Amino acid sequence: MLSIRDLRLSFKENEILKGINIDVNKGDVVTLIGPSGTGKTTLLRCINYLEKPTTGSITLGDLNLNYEKITKKEILTLRRKTAMVFQQYNLFKNKTVIENVMEPQMIVQKKSKIEAYENSVEQLDKVGLIDKLESYPSQLSGGQQQRVSIARALALKPEVVLFDEPTSALDPELVGEVLKVIEAVAKSGMTIVLVTHEMSFAQKISTKIVFMDKGNIVEEGPPKAIFEDSTNPRTKEFLNHFYMNKLHVV
Amino acid sequence: MFDVGVFLNGILEILKVVPSTLLLAVIILLLAIMLGSIIHLIVQHKVPVLSQLIVVLQSFLRGTPNVVLLYFMFAALPELLTIITGSLGIPFDANKINPVFIVIFTFSITLSVFQSEIIRGAILSVDKGQIEAAHALGYSFWQTFTKVIFPQALIEAFPDFMNSLLLVIKGLSLAYLFTVMDILGQAKLLGGYTQRYLEAFAAAALIYWLLCIVLTKFANKVEFKMREGFH
Repeated sequence: MLSIRDLRLSFKENEILKGINIDVNKGDVVTLIGPSGTGKTTLLRCINYLEKPTTGSITLGDLNLNYEKITKKEILTLRRKTAMVFQQYNLFKNKTVIENVMEPQMIVQKKSKIEAYENSVEQLDKVGLIDKLESYPSQLSGGQQQRVSIARALALKPEVVLFDEPTSALDPELVGEVLKVIEAVAKSGMTIVLVTHEMSFAQKISTKIVFMDKGNIVEEGPPKAIFEDSTNPRTKEFLNHFYMNKLHVV
Repeated sequence: MFDVGVFLNGILEILKVVPSTLLLAVIILLLAIMLGSIIHLIVQHKVPVLSQLIVVLQSFLRGTPNVVLLYFMFAALPELLTIITGSLGIPFDANKINPVFIVIFTFSITLSVFQSEIIRGAILSVDKGQIEAAHALGYSFWQTFTKVIFPQALIEAFPDFMNSLLLVIKGLSLAYLFTVMDILGQAKLLGGYTQRYLEAFAAAALIYWLLCIVLTKFANKVEFKMREGFH
């Protein structure tokens, strides 16, 4: 349903993504893992053209685009088929929770106020914030804000949701509530591409893990194949480091 | 000695011109904000020639006293308009230009370059993450501007706009030099009429001060209202 071919992105002399190919099927939960500065977030942001790839092509549903010749109208179409959840939530801070969720539906999808309201309430109920409709983002905890941003994304009924390190900015004790919501979204059959450092969570919810290093995909496969059975030395090194660091912290 | 009766009477007399002074100041400010927005766009998009011209204009206006500019405009504008209308064949009498228009023109131009700076700062203050979120949600460029950037930038810019309004009100005291009746002009007239300049000018000063206090309070209230809840 979503496939990316030979995606490259250079910043001046620096090649950040070195020819990425990815396929995501409908209902898949694909998680990008790998060391920091490897291009996971950049790759995710290329999918909705927040980052501008140098070359490559993307197919999303019936949309087929060449990044080099993309038009403004195509960018808009691409963005309207996807939704993104950011690390910093990025809610509209001058709008209440319900307005944050309603406004995109009214502006982008031209839904009526009543229709947008009903849909928003439904989504906010799913993320457990039905009692916060009239709050402003500044009155909410990070975890609550992130759940609003998930509701805002889902309310648009996108074909794929892109999660960009959705729990990295949260206090450790708030991570759980957000992961729970993401897990429910995954179980509802939504197609997801996720960047995260929560390894055990990735292992639990993903249908496919993509391990990236230095702008390349090193290895991809089902969680078990990557986390337990991988024979690739780079993958093993990364995972070992990861678990060792985790032990040190605990 | 200080004649309280004349002073109080002076206040009442001067209060009569406060509405027109305020109206004049508001018109100037609104024009300056509109011009300032255009200037901001020109500078932002680095329009060739025009953006360089604006840099020169900015430096010129910063470095010239308002009163000099006013005198200059009063000398230059009628001449300029005579030439323009003459070449277009429109009948025009330079002596019949209402000085208020020259005052409005001069003040709005002077103020506009400063407004463009205010607008620039206000737009930059809008969190980049929210703009990205709007893009990711599929907002067009224009929708992002009107729904996300403008409402938040306006709140940032509002106190500076009000500050500019106070500057214009005070600056307009120069306009009496060109027969435009404002607070100072009225006081001068009154002083001459009663031969009590001390009371007249004291009344004018007090009214300027009160006006400033009232407007500042009003601005704070409006700003608080705009930020209600989310700040």
